[in-house]
Amino acid sequence: MRAMWEFFFGVGWLATLTSYLTITTAILVAGSLVMMLLTWIERRGLGYMQDRKGPNRVGPFGLFQPIAEAIKTITKEDITPTDADRWVHFLAPVVILASTVAAFAVIPWGNLIPVDINVGVLYIVAVSAVHTVGILMAGWASNNKFALLGGMRGVAQAISYEIPQVLSLVSIVMLVGSMSVVDVIQNQMDPYGNILSWHIFTPVGLLSFIVFWIASLAEGERPPFDNPEAESELVAGYMTEYGGMKFAVLFLANYLTNFAICAVTAGVFLGGGNGPGSDIPILGTLLSVFYFLAKSLGLFFVMVWIRGVVPRLRIDELMHFAWKFLLPLALVNIFSTSLWIAIIRWGAEQGMGIAEALGAPGSIARIAVAWVVTAIINVVAFFLVARLNATRGVTTYQATPTAV
Amino acid sequence: MLKTEELQINIGPQHPSTHGVFRLMATVDGETVVHLEPVFGYLHRNHEQLGEIWTYLQTITITDRLDYFNSMINEHGYCMTVEKLASIEVPERAEYIRVIMSELSRILNHAAAIGFWLQDMGSWGTTLMFGFRQREMIMDIFESVGGSRMMCNYMRFGGVARDLTPNLVEQINLFLEGFPQFIDDFERLMMENEILLARSRNVGVLPKELAAAYSVTGPVIRGSGIPYDIRRAEPYSIYDRFAFDIPVGSVGDVYDRFLVRMEEMRQSHRILRQAMEQLPQASGSYINQAYKAASKQQGLRLPAGEAYCRVESPKGELGYYIVSNGGNSAYRYGIRAPSLINLTALNDMCRGYTVADIVVILGSIDIVMGEVDR
Repeated sequence: MRAMWEFFFGVGWLATLTSYLTITTAILVAGSLVMMLLTWIERRGLGYMQDRKGPNRVGPFGLFQPIAEAIKTITKEDITPTDADRWVHFLAPVVILASTVAAFAVIPWGNLIPVDINVGVLYIVAVSAVHTVGILMAGWASNNKFALLGGMRGVAQAISYEIPQVLSLVSIVMLVGSMSVVDVIQNQMDPYGNILSWHIFTPVGLLSFIVFWIASLAEGERPPFDNPEAESELVAGYMTEYGGMKFAVLFLANYLTNFAICAVTAGVFLGGGNGPGSDIPILGTLLSVFYFLAKSLGLFFVMVWIRGVVPRLRIDELMHFAWKFLLPLALVNIFSTSLWIAIIRWGAEQGMGIAEALGAPGSIARIAVAWVVTAIINVVAFFLVARLNATRGVTTYQATPTAV
Repeated sequence: MLKTEELQINIGPQHPSTHGVFRLMATVDGETVVHLEPVFGYLHRNHEQLGEIWTYLQTITITDRLDYFNSMINEHGYCMTVEKLASIEVPERAEYIRVIMSELSRILNHAAAIGFWLQDMGSWGTTLMFGFRQREMIMDIFESVGGSRMMCNYMRFGGVARDLTPNLVEQINLFLEGFPQFIDDFERLMMENEILLARSRNVGVLPKELAAAYSVTGPVIRGSGIPYDIRRAEPYSIYDRFAFDIPVGSVGDVYDRFLVRMEEMRQSHRILRQAMEQLPQASGSYINQAYKAASKQQGLRLPAGEAYCRVESPKGELGYYIVSNGGNSAYRYGIRAPSLINLTALNDMCRGYTVADIVVILGSIDIVMGEVDR
């Protein structure tokens, strides 16, 4: 990108600045476009799940509905409640949107990589945590009790779920040996285009994926963890007092967060833009963007699917779930990841590792042994934790209506 | 321990899940409810006063507006009261049609109530739409018999306004055939859902004694374990001819009320099956023809006296009390509205649970503001 602009300008610093501006603009435009697509997918998907059509009037298949709605929200009056803290109320959507957009800086769109920094995974987690501050600002500044409760819930939930989320990523970082998102994706690249090299197809990666995905649903305030904006309880939670453009910004940030989650999940666990033919020079880039979008939007559809069926968890149950279910699993997963690494790498230099000691020479056998060991540990851990969590309710309760 | 302050939140009158214009003044400590005061009256429409001004026949139309989910049962109760006071005979066939319509409205009401309840719990429309699909089919039937989907105005003194045509009988049978499939699907979708169990079990517990003391009725008292159903306790119309069970819960929590409603839909289906089978053998016309002819000559004037009749509405015991002084409209007219009386137990059910539970508990009582405020 920089080389192209240098050709035009002939000045180094101007070319650097322009190339960054170009990338930023591209991210912002593409982000907004994807967000429009996401709202459309969500509403149409939910519509078909619920025996109705969803928006289908504006444009082909209702695809322009988000544009119509954007115009509507922009032209609405901008209201600040009387006793609200005006500046904080104004800044909250900005903070939320900024933190979300910032995360996109390191998310590769297939082979198109905005920035490759060596702590990319950590950066995503850190930047999206700023989101929490914005939620609290919005809840506090609105001078509304529903908003306050929603903001408090949002903070409690985000802080709790960040821990399993980060810990599940630790496993992957250990596996890859690098925090760069590009390295994580490269690690899943197989010369033969074999999708089995994706992280999700290892026992460690699968458990990590489950924990990360559930924790991310909570981070993105998706049902069944949409407590901060629980419509049936808190009207709209921290967004209650927002209208017009400010609401649109919050809404945009919300969907961008969801897309960022899907994109990170696709990159870290599903091989990002990897797929057949993604390494061909020019066509491959297009193909990889297509694969990346297909995976991300597929994951987003899973989000919609979950939203279509499950009720919402109560806030205390939500906390129990984070601390008693996800956290132990994430810790177990770190343990089995270290075993996996140990089995595959230990003594590899001397040609005498654990796998060889067990009588299985060769790297395939090492992987097989590592696979079986970690699979056993993870499956046992999963069912043990599930059982320990389930028994609480079952023993104390039994209710079937008996006919009289 | 940090010093905390109690916070008062007004849930309503404008709130997505108060089921109408209804206000809950909740005092909360963090998210825990310390005290809860229901405030109502926002939808007061002078129903009882209107019933004293309008003639008896006109009043049927406003009973539809009481609990607008099951207008048929409201009319049934009102007509029974007037018939009791005026000693009007109801032919057998008319009774069958009334029972069929009543049980259809019970299914309609429970399907919608469960859908709304799950909506309150945050299951985002899908379950509501599942319930509404059944409701739509029943409303088509109501539209065919009464001319209107919700405000049916179908029952008359001495019977019903129109006879069931063979087409309609077929339509009802068709609905009855498809219904078990719906309820099985619904059970598979929701009954064992882990989140639903976590949200509803041991939440909003109303113990047996308290339920009786508050004189709550309907699925709420049956969920608490008391098998009290007017159709069995004091059989009216021809309910003594049908075999059906009364489901009861064991704990009295929100989940029990949900199970009771599910089972009641099955039992209503059972009654409907029997009624549809026996309908062709029923004697008489769809209305008391002698009374119909007489009422054409002059409007209905009830003899002086008073009467109270009660029916089992899907929400509970719905009672009508009419005092007549011989005129063509009631001298005094009163209603025992189950939604209102079930609502009085709300504070005891909610105390100690969280804000999120309030809406779930309120949804499990299944109130309709049209009936609470009248």
